[in-house]
Amino acid sequence: MSEMLSGAEILCRALVDAGVEVVFGYPGGAIMPFYHALPDHPQLRHILVRHEQAAAHAADGYARASGRVGVCVATSGPGATNLVTGLAAAHMDNSPVVAITGQVSRPMIGRDAFQETDIIGITLPITKQNYQVQDVSELAEVVAEAMAVALDGRPGPVLIDVPKDVQNQKIAYGAPRARARGQSRPPTPGASPGLEDGVRKAARLIAGAERPLIMVGHGVILAQAYNDVRALAEKTGIPVITTLLGISAFPDGHPLHLGMPGMHGEVHVNRAIQHADVIIGIGLRFDDRVTGNTASFAPQARIIHIDLDRAEIGKNVPVAVGIVGDARDITRRLVAAVEPRRCERWLEHIRGFVRPRAESYRGNLSPEAILASINEASHGDCTIVTDVGQHQMWVAKLYPYQRPNTHITSGGLGAMGFAVPAALGVHLARPNGTVWAISGDGGFQMNMAEMATMVQEGLPVKMAVFNNGYLGMVRQWQQFFHEKRYSCTPIWSPDYLKLAEAYGIPGYRVKEAGELADAVGRANAEPGPALVEFMIEQEANVFPMIPPGGSLSEPIETAPAGATGG
Amino acid sequence: MDDALVTLNRAFGVLRTRNVPIEGLALHPSGTAGESRLTFVLKADAATADRVAQQFHKMIGVRSVMVLANQDSTTEATR
Repeated sequence: MSEMLSGAEILCRALVDAGVEVVFGYPGGAIMPFYHALPDHPQLRHILVRHEQAAAHAADGYARASGRVGVCVATSGPGATNLVTGLAAAHMDNSPVVAITGQVSRPMIGRDAFQETDIIGITLPITKQNYQVQDVSELAEVVAEAMAVALDGRPGPVLIDVPKDVQNQKIAYGAPRARARGQSRPPTPGASPGLEDGVRKAARLIAGAERPLIMVGHGVILAQAYNDVRALAEKTGIPVITTLLGISAFPDGHPLHLGMPGMHGEVHVNRAIQHADVIIGIGLRFDDRVTGNTASFAPQARIIHIDLDRAEIGKNVPVAVGIVGDARDITRRLVAAVEPRRCERWLEHIRGFVRPRAESYRGNLSPEAILASINEASHGDCTIVTDVGQHQMWVAKLYPYQRPNTHITSGGLGAMGFAVPAALGVHLARPNGTVWAISGDGGFQMNMAEMATMVQEGLPVKMAVFNNGYLGMVRQWQQFFHEKRYSCTPIWSPDYLKLAEAYGIPGYRVKEAGELADAVGRANAEPGPALVEFMIEQEANVFPMIPPGGSLSEPIETAPAGATGG
Repeated sequence: MDDALVTLNRAFGVLRTRNVPIEGLALHPSGTAGESRLTFVLKADAATADRVAQQFHKMIGVRSVMVLANQDSTTEATR
């Protein structure tokens, strides 16, 4: 039996059929038929954000925390263009997001109609695929296909542009036949020719290695290969490095965990890379923030690269053995293929590289103490969502992650303003867990309007604001590389406590370490959202630092002569 | 590849974002309904051509990718 439905009703029905439970969005002219149909589909919980960028980041946060597709909705024109930063972030970090945008009616397309924009053209380079639905008969199948494309293989964002008249078109509706459009699909991973051969070669390299390392990235989290990576490390005794997006894929404090590599990686981690003779890279793309200058990256190492995406193998660094496939599947095969061994001498060698952490702050309100207080208040059981900048690096280096996929950040795009809206999505994916959105005073001010969303929708996100009165990471670069000319980096803040109060959100201000436990504990225990502002050292720096384009062998460990702070 | 403007546009985007110079191009019906054959002649070394091919290979809407190496005229490359 089929019934006559409008395109808007079909859109809602197709989302429900795809298992969607939450939609982040903002209404507007060209998407009004969808919003008219939405109340008839109570299975779809709509979260009204305060800016479409937040809808995209929230969908991204939801996707990363749940492993399911995050959905955001916006109108045409400015609604659609406001999604762009969030889609780019999802694209860079391989997050399965489906964006649905309204479009002006078909007869108006190409006539510079009110709120018309070529969102397909604008988002081509930052989406896996996009569709402009030309007829209502395609709509259900397009939605089903978009959901599948977003999740399949290497995940990523997909955009569906739906002209307003298509939303109003009526048609007899039958259940969608997923993937019936006959579009060609990317190859199914795991069936790579030469896979067994690659695993054998990798096992031989590992057996002959004296100074091997495992480097894990976001692919390990996407594939949920935590236990397999741990099994590989423990069977072989090989130490493990976690990239920014690989953090929490391997437990902090494990005797084989070294930490984060790259621009702000610890000295011993980068030295280990520079001395390694074999590197097993799992689900990472050897990004420039990890490698520094690729010409001097890991000069002695033969690299085994395991990645879902064939195009990543050899893209940034030369590879001795490339294996294309799912991180969990390949790592499991590798565990079976390697002989048990230990790497005690190599671990001893690496321990010799360890430096005492340079004190990067004055006073006693250190980033380390703040993060320890959040960990204690949440009993080690919360998801941390970070923004971009100095606080992001402090969290990456200092937060003691124990549970997989509890660290969520905008790594590839580095989008300031990510944390607060992404945390909304994380909460909806993990409604019984605690989520802390940690931002600087710059990034927080970009999307702080989402406090209204938290209140209206009842989302108990805990917000931590590291206030140093500067756009701190840019200021640090100005201090190190631009003769300490602090051009446009001092940033004024409102009184965040009064601001929170205006939203009906309890706020706390911490000026010294003695106040931490009480303020953070109370914020964490609040039934609703809460904000804590931390007045940190103004010119604190993140050490060590590899200068952009520099070698991992040459870290900056103190502020340049003549410069204050740090 | 699929005979769709969006696929064609995406294919150009792969070359544009990587700044690979195009010396020639041709778009033909492939002989199969709904599919086109797009031929680029690129000014690129083998490694670059291979990297570009890998990017095309994972593009949705692309059915198959061939690198016709060591052919330096448009006529030959599109034959």
